[in-house]
Amino acid sequence: MKPNRRVTPYLFLVPTMAVFGFAVLFPVIMTFAYSFTEWNGYGTMVFVGIDNYIKAANDTLFRDSFVHVLIYIAATILLEVVVGLVLAGLVSVRRRGSLWFRVAIFTPVMLPMVVVAVLWAFVYNNDFGLLNAALANFGLEDLQRVWLGDPATALLAVSVVSGWVYAGFYMTIFYAAFSQVPTEVIEAARLDGAGEWQLFRRIKVPMIGNAITVALLLCITGGFQGFDLFYVMTNGGPYGATEIPTTYLVKSVFTFGNVGYGSAMAVVLTAVVVALGLVFTRVNREKPENVSA
Amino acid sequence: MTDRRKVTTAAVAALSATALILSGCAAGDGGSDDNVLRIAMGSPGEAQIRVWDHVAAQFEAANPDVTVEMNYQDDDLYQTIGLPNLLNGRNAPDIYFEWAGARLEQRAADGFAADLTDAVTTGPIAGLFDEKVFTSLTVDDAVVMVPHAADVANVLWYNEDIFADAGLTPPTTWDELLATCDALDAEGIIPIASGNKDLWAAGNWLAHMTSRVVGEDVYSSALSGETDFNTPEWVEAFGYVKDLADHNCVNESANAVDDNEGAQLFFQGKAAMHAIGSWLVSWAIDEAPELNFDYVNLPSMPGAGDQDSVIGVVTGYVVNAKSSKQDVAAEFLALLNNDENVQAFIGAELTPMALSASTGEDIDSRSAGLIDMLETAPAIVLPPDTGYDLETANALYAALAEVLGGQSTPEDAVAGIDQKLG
Repeated sequence: MKPNRRVTPYLFLVPTMAVFGFAVLFPVIMTFAYSFTEWNGYGTMVFVGIDNYIKAANDTLFRDSFVHVLIYIAATILLEVVVGLVLAGLVSVRRRGSLWFRVAIFTPVMLPMVVVAVLWAFVYNNDFGLLNAALANFGLEDLQRVWLGDPATALLAVSVVSGWVYAGFYMTIFYAAFSQVPTEVIEAARLDGAGEWQLFRRIKVPMIGNAITVALLLCITGGFQGFDLFYVMTNGGPYGATEIPTTYLVKSVFTFGNVGYGSAMAVVLTAVVVALGLVFTRVNREKPENVSA
Repeated sequence: MTDRRKVTTAAVAALSATALILSGCAAGDGGSDDNVLRIAMGSPGEAQIRVWDHVAAQFEAANPDVTVEMNYQDDDLYQTIGLPNLLNGRNAPDIYFEWAGARLEQRAADGFAADLTDAVTTGPIAGLFDEKVFTSLTVDDAVVMVPHAADVANVLWYNEDIFADAGLTPPTTWDELLATCDALDAEGIIPIASGNKDLWAAGNWLAHMTSRVVGEDVYSSALSGETDFNTPEWVEAFGYVKDLADHNCVNESANAVDDNEGAQLFFQGKAAMHAIGSWLVSWAIDEAPELNFDYVNLPSMPGAGDQDSVIGVVTGYVVNAKSSKQDVAAEFLALLNNDENVQAFIGAELTPMALSASTGEDIDSRSAGLIDMLETAPAIVLPPDTGYDLETANALYAALAEVLGGQSTPEDAVAGIDQKLG
């Protein structure tokens, strides 16, 4: 007699679904529900309809926080993805001896972000910091700044730290992708007289299009998730110049106890990230098929 | 599949799911019924932690059926989300640290502050404190907090050696303060160190300054949301903050560094003055034992406020109204404030408010002076972040930081506060 196993797989899925339900689904649903309330996290919960969303739409600082995060993402695309691509190109040219170079570039990725943030806050410190001291030693006093205290430089300063950490990560991805480029293609290009720069620009980079797409998607969505660097290095300051949606909503919820308003901001942020992801995927799908390694 | 296997599989799956569901839903309803007395606070520093642990050991020795569990959180974490999380957790604290003022009233309104009136009048805590101190700790005719310390939230600390070398005396008036700033700035010394990244450090100092200009009533009503900030007197008060910026009174990095980094400028002799609270005494003794320092209250300002006012707040311990061990908690607080333990806290550079503290011989003269200043102050100004709504306080702090950093004019800054608060 054939055993009836139709129910069994679903029964084994129950624990996993319970974990997913309580770790992901339940918080998402509750955050959405809280976004229609005014609540401090423990007192009386008052239903306020879409008031929190109207407040968010009229909140200059919340709107500005999206501008800041977009600038940050643009900067990190350059400092992480583009720099990572260039570094991968460099190490793939001369593979012998590049191991130490790769390890050195990748090491910051392994450091806890809070440690990195504290370390760089000291580097940027106006009074005791390494950067201003180095500028003074080279006779470049005019370039000295209060890097994290000047609205003109604070966001860029944080972006540079992010680049310092993640350029190595993207270098590793691209290096792996370059390794998959068929050697006969490279050899053929060399026979046609291509130099290293032409090989990089016209052969290698076009052939790792999918890896670049993934890297860009990771960089953009990761940018929206950015929090720890900003929280430790500037806490949204100076004067709100580095306030990004995550730091702003965390302040709203955890400092001021506005769980309802913070939840509404979280819902808006999630919607923006999902929408951007969908647009990115759609645009990428409509492009002609990339030559894949 | 046999019926037995089906049943077993279903049972395992259901048990697993139930376990997960129960663990996920385990958020508590407040107090727990075990024999553990839970005490929560922001970290008071190593020296005081040793005293607390000793008091806990004494209590356990006297009450063998009770275990005392101390929870020392990061200060900022405790002040914001830490305490609310604990109070709403499964093992909520039976005793917790709190600031008098708006925060205490909120705890009472939310049902987290037990009525301690009997405990302090006829119970184990009776006679340990001057009765007058309970006035600010009473909500709806019920005493809801046992005081522990009175913090002066801001004075102007100065480096005696730098002042002596520069031939300066501590400023007592606004004009003297600006002249002192000019003299120190000319010598390449930072006049006043401030680490205001988190906004409260200079915020408390400058808020006190504005209260001296607008008057205590106007200050309190604006921070309570009863009146607007955008008035001529507030613009005038913010004008004095602009004067500080114009005279290079504070370090250029003030709004980029935190309170610890700001203090380091003072400890290392890079700055001649530091505007911060009474907790600097034990901090400086720990980190800069060679530093010769003293304090003056905020120099008098031209304005409507009491020019001898002191910005300060009483801190203490609340018994959780949801605790099933309120009597045990009261006994612990009595033990905490007995003669022996009060002297131990004095040895840890904290001067408790218990009456027996005045008999202590080892109180640091600066700490004793600050307590005396607070007790004899003709007017006490509450710090915005502990005495009033935190969002309002933050809006005021942010506006003050903008003017101090030269980012806003006084007019724009005060208008911005009302705009931000809606």
